[in-house]
Amino acid sequence: MLIKYFATFRELTKENSLVLNAEPANIAELLELLSDRYGTPFRKAVFEDGELSSLMILLVNGRNVRITGGLATPVNPTDEVSVFPMVAGG
Amino acid sequence: MNGWIGTTLRVDLSRGTIKRERTNKLVARDYIGARGMGVKIISDEVDPSADALGPDNKLVFAPGPFTGTFAPSAGRYNVITKSPLNGTIAGSNSGGVFGPELKFAGYDAVIIEGQAKKPVYLWIKNDLVEIRDASAMWGMTVADTTDALREQTDPDAKVACIGPAGENLSLIASIMNEMHRAAGRTGVGAVMGSKKLKAIAVIGTGEITVADPVAFKAAVMDARGKIQANPVGGVGLKAYGTDVLVNILNQSGALPVNNWQDAYSPVADKIGGESLAANQLVRPKGCFACIISCGRATKVTNPAYAGVGEGPEYESAWAFGVDSGIDNLDAIIKANYLCNEYGLDTISMGSTIACAMELYELGLLTKKDTDGLDLSFGNAEVMVELVRKTGVGEGFGKRLQEGSYRLADSVGRPDLSMTVKKQEMPAYDPRGVQGIGLNYATNNRGGCHVRGYTIAVEVLGQGAPTDPHATEGKAALDIVFQDLTSALDSSGSCLFATFGIGGAELAGMLSALTGVDYSLEEFMKAGARIWNLERLWNLKVGYTAADDTLPVRLLTEPIKTGPSKGRVNHLDQMLPEYYALRGWDAAGVPTPEKLAELAL
Ligand code: SF4
Repeated sequence: MLIKYFATFRELTKENSLVLNAEPANIAELLELLSDRYGTPFRKAVFEDGELSSLMILLVNGRNVRITGGLATPVNPTDEVSVFPMVAGG
Repeated sequence: MNGWIGTTLRVDLSRGTIKRERTNKLVARDYIGARGMGVKIISDEVDPSADALGPDNKLVFAPGPFTGTFAPSAGRYNVITKSPLNGTIAGSNSGGVFGPELKFAGYDAVIIEGQAKKPVYLWIKNDLVEIRDASAMWGMTVADTTDALREQTDPDAKVACIGPAGENLSLIASIMNEMHRAAGRTGVGAVMGSKKLKAIAVIGTGEITVADPVAFKAAVMDARGKIQANPVGGVGLKAYGTDVLVNILNQSGALPVNNWQDAYSPVADKIGGESLAANQLVRPKGCFACIISCGRATKVTNPAYAGVGEGPEYESAWAFGVDSGIDNLDAIIKANYLCNEYGLDTISMGSTIACAMELYELGLLTKKDTDGLDLSFGNAEVMVELVRKTGVGEGFGKRLQEGSYRLADSVGRPDLSMTVKKQEMPAYDPRGVQGIGLNYATNNRGGCHVRGYTIAVEVLGQGAPTDPHATEGKAALDIVFQDLTSALDSSGSCLFATFGIGGAELAGMLSALTGVDYSLEEFMKAGARIWNLERLWNLKVGYTAADDTLPVRLLTEPIKTGPSKGRVNHLDQMLPEYYALRGWDAAGVPTPEKLAELAL
């Protein structure tokens, strides 16, 4: 699984991307794994009271997980996951 | 009046006369100000068949009731006119400090009429208003004009002006204020050029009265708190600017590439906000009273493209970047600086270059047409040179200054102009995001994203997120965004304030400021009124339902790579519902009942 980080998540993880050699079943498990790897600041950025943080945008193969089931969204080893802080523009 | 000043300035450049008029209270109430008030004035006073670049067209500069107050991001003004690019009742919105200064000088709107015989500028210092000779400034860049005017008037004067592109009547010319902020779209700069009005310089020292200062302060503090607490308004835009969207749209499969031949680029990261923050950003910069500060003060040290200035925004980085096959951010920023110097709209300029590149690769333009330049996609040096040529109106630049539609049409391929109603579309591919396609197709000024920014919920997942690939519910969504933005633009606040507050907060602040009781419903209804009045104008100039469409490429040519591979836009599934929900008939004409409901 390829994880790509953008904006503040690059500062937080000190990485632009990561090839993950584990097989989490869904977004919740994936974010748990990543939180273990990067520590508390990362955990705080991605979870909010046990839910998906409203301060981030998470895409699995280009699809925003907010419309595909949130933390329960299934993931596969061939997926590409993109992690952004909540930003916008015009 | 409270919030509004109560005075409108009318300047006839043919006769050389200056009149002060009372701002019509009922028009102010029903159309709020800025965009709405300008649309009402143009639609009442200009014949839709008038030549947009002739003496009968008018040009309205209008701040809104919030402009100049401490309401959040209240630094905006609008320029409204008949567009020379596409004939629509058009306009453009700009930030900075020019709008507030106009208000402090004592005006809700400045209406420019007629045509001067020789170049002039307008000098406004509170009640003192003079039409002055600008012959010595004709031909100057925006920065030089601004400096020269400050020398001739007041070192603190706020200046809105055109560059050589507006003088040359380029249909993609902008009006610039504070050198780097642009009323960019729809060719408003050419209208100013046609009137031989080089600039407006203004100094104001007046005050804006508030109907209920206690309630207004409370409402403003509440709104500011909400914007600050929102991750987008509070931190996101300040750290990375709007260019942060490059990667998000690319990873979503909706970043147009090579004149919209594709919607994903493997090299997009090189031109995104992250790269900008790491390499060229000097500091974030904000408009008047703005806590968001999305502007970018930047510096390029690479000798080939060296310079200091502001930008790029997301749209500009995209248009001069991946849409033209370019991943050199230094070159992109240089192109942006040149647009600011010459007074050109970055979206239309970049997109016109991208179109020219495709026509060149197809052999429809050759080196004979392009002054010997190699217009292959990805040629950054040539891209920058094309901006310069367009800015000064030299050689092939003369063709580019008419925009992509006329260029592509001249070689028999208007379908390769990525425009709606002849105006270039911004950087969101409707094949990957259905609702924004409906917004482009129905937008009253042609290809435009800010007047219906459904991206917030379709891509960014703000508010109540919706599936970008779905067509269901998009008609209603578009209408809410379009009406809210019409009212917001008219209030004088910035679109980005809505990353934190909504119509209810805006209506509450407006009521406390003006003393007119705007419920959320009334506020949204004013937005719908403005939208429908713009629509009526467009019908009068000859637009029909057939023009509410997208370039055929987006309807029939599937995206080739990336997350949206295989997708096209399904406008036909959304448009009939849009008409019905708007209260328009099947031909897209507002019904008599709808017009009565909106008091039109
Ligand atoms: S959010 Fe950006 S464009 Fe809007 S007022 Fe603030 S600095 Fe200006």
